[in-house]
Amino acid sequence: MTATPKAPPVHHHEEDTSRGNAVSTWVKGQYALYILLALLIVATITRGSIFWGRTNLTNLLLQMSIIGVVVLAQLIVVLTGGIDISVGSALGLAAVVAAGLFDGPSVLLGLVVALAIGAAVGAVNGWLVAFRGLEPFIVTLGMLALARGLVYAYGNGIPINPEAADSYARFGQSTLLGIPVLAIIWLAMAGLIAFLLYRTVWGRRVYAIGSNVEAARSSGIPVKSTLWSVYILAGLLVGLGGWLFLARFASGTSTAGSLLELEAIAAVVIGGARLSGGYGKVFGAVVGTVIFAVIANLLSLLNVSTFLQDAFRGGLILVAVTLATVQIVRKRKSTSTPAAAH
Amino acid sequence: MVVPTDERETEGSGAAKPGSVAFTAVGVKKHYPGVKALDGVDLEGYAGSVLGVCGANGAGKSTFAKLLAGVETLTDGEITISGFPHPVRNAAEAEQAGVLMMHQEPLIIDDFTVGENVWLYKLREGRDIRPWATKVDTNGAATREVLQGVGLGHLSTRQLARGLGPGQRQMLSLSRAAVTKHKIMILDETTASTSEEHFNDILSLVKREKEAGTSIIFVSHRLNEVFAMCDRIAVLRNGTLVKVLDAAETDPDEVTALMIGQALKALDRPAPVHPAPDQVPVLSVRDLHGGSANGVSFDVNPGEILGLYGLVGSGRSSVARTITGQRPAAGGSIKLHGNEVSLPNPTAAVAKGIAYLTEDRRLEGFVKDFDNGENMSLVALPQMATAGVVDGKREKTRIRELISEYQVKGGTKTYTRNLSGGNQQKVVVAKWLETDPEFVVLDEPTKGIDVGARSNIYQIIHSVAARGKGILVVSSEAEELLSLCHRILVMRNGEIVAEFDPENATTDDLVRTALTHEG
Repeated sequence: MTATPKAPPVHHHEEDTSRGNAVSTWVKGQYALYILLALLIVATITRGSIFWGRTNLTNLLLQMSIIGVVVLAQLIVVLTGGIDISVGSALGLAAVVAAGLFDGPSVLLGLVVALAIGAAVGAVNGWLVAFRGLEPFIVTLGMLALARGLVYAYGNGIPINPEAADSYARFGQSTLLGIPVLAIIWLAMAGLIAFLLYRTVWGRRVYAIGSNVEAARSSGIPVKSTLWSVYILAGLLVGLGGWLFLARFASGTSTAGSLLELEAIAAVVIGGARLSGGYGKVFGAVVGTVIFAVIANLLSLLNVSTFLQDAFRGGLILVAVTLATVQIVRKRKSTSTPAAAH
Repeated sequence: MVVPTDERETEGSGAAKPGSVAFTAVGVKKHYPGVKALDGVDLEGYAGSVLGVCGANGAGKSTFAKLLAGVETLTDGEITISGFPHPVRNAAEAEQAGVLMMHQEPLIIDDFTVGENVWLYKLREGRDIRPWATKVDTNGAATREVLQGVGLGHLSTRQLARGLGPGQRQMLSLSRAAVTKHKIMILDETTASTSEEHFNDILSLVKREKEAGTSIIFVSHRLNEVFAMCDRIAVLRNGTLVKVLDAAETDPDEVTALMIGQALKALDRPAPVHPAPDQVPVLSVRDLHGGSANGVSFDVNPGEILGLYGLVGSGRSSVARTITGQRPAAGGSIKLHGNEVSLPNPTAAVAKGIAYLTEDRRLEGFVKDFDNGENMSLVALPQMATAGVVDGKREKTRIRELISEYQVKGGTKTYTRNLSGGNQQKVVVAKWLETDPEFVVLDEPTKGIDVGARSNIYQIIHSVAARGKGILVVSSEAEELLSLCHRILVMRNGEIVAEFDPENATTDDLVRTALTHEG
């Protein structure tokens, strides 16, 4: 018998609360930032003077703002464990209807219309997902085709120019302290979503539902209505994206927002969110957005053909996602979080 | 003896001499972020002998079992299994070396038949993937015999495993011991989800395994079961090995004292409640239907702890889930403080001040990506917020208080999923009581929890009752209800068949009433 009568040492757990450690852990986790940094270095070396030029940076920011709000919409849906692949079509629909309804007499009316269209699309998606229990992928796949079809039908494939095209253009080009207003709107939305997610009861519920819907339900969280509100909010953001599109291009084209869902999902994933839900940060999503805009911008600057650009973008998604999983695997090995707990 | 066991012996991997060393663990350490689950444990196991591993919550007993099975990776130290050339590094190697792990949560594939589940490891073992290869006969006489050996002889081998209750699932997973080659069998809290009726089946299974020369590790804190089964008992405390005892030379009191490091204070019976004649019950249930509950009526008075006893499938959990809105009622009335309430979902129940401590902690108890703090404030969060915006300072302060009040191991930032069962349960209890509910239902409140945390939780239950709230404790452990409750109802076949006063009732009375048909 192996009797070991030695006195047991005092057991104490230590909690990592030191600030320096927290910062270094955070920095280690931000692999998206490194991708961005690498991209910026490549940009500086190859086309530094043009890339960092005022015109190009403004352009870049304008590009980001439209995708940016859509990425935010995608983020909150992904946090619940869902996915919304109808964002691009919904954005297109919001843009063309806002441009065409009553012939688009004013920018503000356009905003109201775009938001209403976005919210309606989101409400239908959300209702089917939350109350009918359908798979988000299938629901939004149907909505993708439906909304895009409506876009084509509405304009017969011809770009719709609103009466207030000049005001849209002026608004789209306006700046505040040298920063495009559209970009300010995007960042304000990022701030708003961050506030909602991190500081409100609603936000905590979104994370709880995404991580463990059974525990959330059992704890009295109104799962269905929270889910519905998430899709509606996502719809509103997409509608806003449609309006920003109008402001940038002053015209509602039938291809507005096509393939945007791809970039939005990829940006969310590169930003560190988990597609199964419950984990992801607004900051990551913003960085993901910037990465995609910089890539597109850089490819144009390098005179890569538009056909190849899509391929490059797709390839980069694969590379980035692979990098992301490498990171997770390493993290698991070093901290050995019990896999059985999942 | 079941046929396949012979096969095991002829293949030679289980032919260990009784008494020879089966495995040796040296300086085993396992650290999780923020928690040292094991901190240097040396332990040996012998063939044909049962080693009990006991300890309080967070003592590291389940961690030890997982390390031995290679499910978790060692932080430091090594485990050698006799007959295997080098220290075991992962689950595949452990399996090769002959370790068979019976998990706390049985691994059952719902969409496979009972027979296929018996042979699950064998099905996988075959490397022959040709479609025309001979397959194991999952419906043959051998399978039937295996099932009878674990008290599941009444099941059809062809029925899907989906419909089985938790106890049956556990026994089904245990049945694999008869068809899988192994030298070491680990039972990790295997009795936690089985009722008393299955324990004898487990005992006879263990006896057969001992005779076949298997080294068995039984991880548990149910000391009566440990003493009924084990030859040696290893006591862990806070991640270190306190002592290895010979079961014949010790008694439960000594083990308990070693487990918690001090003598256990006997639990006081709750002060009796005397309801005033015109008193309105906190909760009044009449002719409740839903799930397997079939016309259940009872009252719970303010300050009363009512116990609900029954076997698995008797409807006890259906009652608990229906009166807390976890599942809709199919009929009957529920009155809270004399007012009829409708509870279509948990949200409605929480709003009315009804709390439900779930039986399935991992699935429903806590959010796996939340830390202790976020889990504790999950239900009460709206009360810590103004206009939906969380008062971060207030939440933080309150969480700190709760952590020290409930003595949760790990801090506010530790993930609840990394804690031991008992500490997880404290977090979940704290989560519910933070809302100051009027009526609390606790479904198996001490399932998978050791003596020390157990008495903690009992004290908490008493203090809630002392504040005049109503409490319903659902349990499959008669002893627990007898020491905790003011009144005990026994359920059978969806109906309440008897009421007992714990002052003059015994475990035997409850079990017999729950089992027999005469009542």
